[in-house]
Amino acid sequence: MNVRDQHDPQSESPPQNRRRRRTLFASGVAALALTAGLAAAPAAPAAPADAPQAVAPAKAGGKTLTVALAQSVDSLSPFLAQRLVSTSIHRLMYEYLTNYDPKDNKTIPGFATEWKSSADKLTWTYTIRDDSTWSDGKKATAKDAAFTFNKMMTDDNAAQANGSFVANFKKVSAPSDTELVIELKKPQATMTALDVPIVPEHIWKDVKDYSKFNNDEKFPIVGNGPFVLTDYKTDQYVKLKANKKFWRGAPKFDELVFRTYKDQDAAVAALRKGEVSFVAGAPALTPAQAASLKGQKNIKVNEGPGRRFFAIATNPGARTKGGEKFGDGHPALLDQKVRQALFLAVDRKTIVDKVFQGHAVEGAGYIPPRFKDYFWEPSDSQKLAYDPERAAKLLDEAGYPKKGDKRVGKDGKPLDFRILCHATDPNDKAIGKYLKEWWGDLGIGLEVQCLDDVSVPWYAGEYDLAFDGWSVNPDPDFVLGIHTCAALPEKAKESAATDNFICDKKFDELYQKQLAEYDPAKRAATVKDMQSWLYDSGYMNIIAYPNAVEAYRTDHIKSIKTMPEASGNIYGQDGYWSWWSAVPASAGSGGASGGDGGDDSGSTGVVIGVVVGVLVLGGAVFLFSRRRAATADDRE
Amino acid sequence: MTAEPPMTTQPPRTAEPPAKAAAARSPRALKAARMRQSFVRFWKEYRTHRSGLWGLGALVLIALIALAAPLLVGADSESVTDAPGLPMEDPSGEFPLGTDQFGRSVLALLVWGARVSLTVGLLAAFLCVAIGTLVGIVAGHFKGWFATVLMRITDWFLVMPTLVLAIALATVMDRSMWTVILAIGVTTWPTTARLVRAQTLAVESRPYIERARALGGGHGHIMLRHVLPNVMPLVLAQTTLVISSAILTESTLAFLGLSDPTITSWGGMLQDAREAGAVSAGHWWYLAPPGLAIAAVALAFTLCGRAVESVLNPRLGVAR
Repeated sequence: MNVRDQHDPQSESPPQNRRRRRTLFASGVAALALTAGLAAAPAAPAAPADAPQAVAPAKAGGKTLTVALAQSVDSLSPFLAQRLVSTSIHRLMYEYLTNYDPKDNKTIPGFATEWKSSADKLTWTYTIRDDSTWSDGKKATAKDAAFTFNKMMTDDNAAQANGSFVANFKKVSAPSDTELVIELKKPQATMTALDVPIVPEHIWKDVKDYSKFNNDEKFPIVGNGPFVLTDYKTDQYVKLKANKKFWRGAPKFDELVFRTYKDQDAAVAALRKGEVSFVAGAPALTPAQAASLKGQKNIKVNEGPGRRFFAIATNPGARTKGGEKFGDGHPALLDQKVRQALFLAVDRKTIVDKVFQGHAVEGAGYIPPRFKDYFWEPSDSQKLAYDPERAAKLLDEAGYPKKGDKRVGKDGKPLDFRILCHATDPNDKAIGKYLKEWWGDLGIGLEVQCLDDVSVPWYAGEYDLAFDGWSVNPDPDFVLGIHTCAALPEKAKESAATDNFICDKKFDELYQKQLAEYDPAKRAATVKDMQSWLYDSGYMNIIAYPNAVEAYRTDHIKSIKTMPEASGNIYGQDGYWSWWSAVPASAGSGGASGGDGGDDSGSTGVVIGVVVGVLVLGGAVFLFSRRRAATADDRE
Repeated sequence: MTAEPPMTTQPPRTAEPPAKAAAARSPRALKAARMRQSFVRFWKEYRTHRSGLWGLGALVLIALIALAAPLLVGADSESVTDAPGLPMEDPSGEFPLGTDQFGRSVLALLVWGARVSLTVGLLAAFLCVAIGTLVGIVAGHFKGWFATVLMRITDWFLVMPTLVLAIALATVMDRSMWTVILAIGVTTWPTTARLVRAQTLAVESRPYIERARALGGGHGHIMLRHVLPNVMPLVLAQTTLVISSAILTESTLAFLGLSDPTITSWGGMLQDAREAGAVSAGHWWYLAPPGLAIAAVALAFTLCGRAVESVLNPRLGVAR
């Protein structure tokens, strides 16, 4: 499912579009790459032509930080945006009630300075800071926060992106400018992790249709975050300027530009030349790209534990809330033994070593080890380590003995599965090749179905297995909620919050228990129980936690905060820490001169790539032109 | 009455074999001799085209390499789990073209990739020419509104950008080699159809067709027995030329990720190389060989096609 890299909405995103949305890019990009002599050389200089200020960030006047992104913005409206790039930009534009400490992900004050819950756990009172102003000069108050939440509660169109946070709200009010009161129907543990951007009431109250308004009409866009959005061009760039009056202190860079590069190689080439200061690791730089950048002058490759897990999901039999079954998931997968056997035959260590080349951590529980409070590992007796013999035994027990090369069921049919793969994700394809061989040795056939848009068969339940992945927030509520019965679709084949059609009474009970638990330690214990259940079920088999691999120019950026601070990612943080904290390098060392040293080794390859591309293309043109001439003669 | 002619002609035919050697001139033998003769004549003519010989030599060599792939580089060189090397190694004695991201030898993959690229190229070209010939002959034979409709459909396909149509087709269907073959086949036939139709019209205006019709030859008889043999040379030349463009299209589709990701083809290798970041890393030994191989095979087929064309159609002149 999509929440990976490109389209990785943060986990609060609702289901509609969360699967891979980069439908047509792949082909377009690839076509461009082929014709452009394998991309890098021509693409890089062409793209930033309209950004002279980005090329020379150290020029007198403003200091600009340019970030190369593979993803483009879906919407600038906080009520609609789901992609990681958009939600990251909202972190910069607007304040959230609370923020996460970059050191350890603990909740710290944001728009609210203090918060407390009543004895019955049903009323939360937030104290709103009085030193935050909107960029048009008006004061930001609790009334704006109350307006934002009330809008989401009353208007379904405004609940698209973050509706799950307010589903349990009874009433939200602002008795004074500095006090916000939220009354709940049931206790809710996520009250200090409400990842909802607070918007200015005086601007948004005039918006008529929240489902259509993309917040990209009047620039600059009024906000109160560390940056103010000043310009935006679809699929090209987003420009933000520093908010000098930001209460936590003004950012050090004067301007921040997010530029879209649909080809990661082009982005890397732009970084080498100094046209961009930062290449976002979404998707992560490939091992070869990272290796080629390491040791280059003025370039630093940053690698930190990622927020994502990478899993193989098995279709548990798609069904609606009402229990109506649909889809065509393989019946053999309804047997837990078969599911576990499949996973037992997957050598996770090889995948981490070969496919991720060490840029990932071997998978265990559902929540990545980065969130250590919630991280869970199976005990030795519970662990499904790589063991093809045990897998074969389990399949024998499940009634699928090996006949010749193939496992055959009671109905005499050989065991053949399909796996849904994202055509845009090289890792899916690579792991698919391994699975095909490992499971082939077990006697199970596998067809790797790579699609640009996997959401159609996914929602329809027409898959056996699928590559799945989600970005996890410091608060795990959302990624757990997508496996509850409540998330199942109302009608067959309709989009819904559910990730993989899992619906189990025990899991649901545990989910409700953790949601109502205000004691962090007890809640974490319940969350771990849920992960243990998921692990045993064989529905979600976590293969790895890929690292975030990104790179930046040290002659543009002197220092930048990662999250977690000790070793973490820069792009896609839960907060604005990286861009807010980035310190520009001193004036002398910027821009053009820095790129030279690093360029040479790469350009050899690029030159040859171009030559080959031109050869191929020239050949094609030659053939076609000659053929045209000939056929003209042939006509009678 | 209808049963009579066979009755009278059959006995001599079945009784003939012993007598045939002596007489040496049964219709079948005559035909064989004529074909042998024309083939010798064709080869004599073909030999004078030096570029055609080069193309043929290159093709034979590539075909031999592709057929002998298991012997040359080992049957398991496509396996990722038994990959011998480390990911993305530089060229060395063991791996002359380095390794890919799974640690497989790029040279071995190149040899294996030849199989897929050639198979897809040949089958797609065959499909394309088959459709084109069928449509062309039918449209040329049956004139009137039927032919008009058929040719308008052909025109419609002709103006559609082939690649876009093929991408659309490959996207809707499953990702497999057969999809690619089908996508190429059904999108590239219009040129052949137009050519064949023109030739059909020319053949059908000859007097002997009229005679055949007067003697009671039906549509099928005329199309199969008289028109088809006469358009065959054109179709043959067209096939060799279409193959090279089919191989190029196959590589393009595989490069765009529209082919089966689990099989190795040259276009797919380029795609893998790009996805692995070989461009940024400057691994030209991974990028260049598949591209050169595609160009070489396409060139070889074109050289052959040109030679065949000029042999079969003297009007094109010797200069070619």
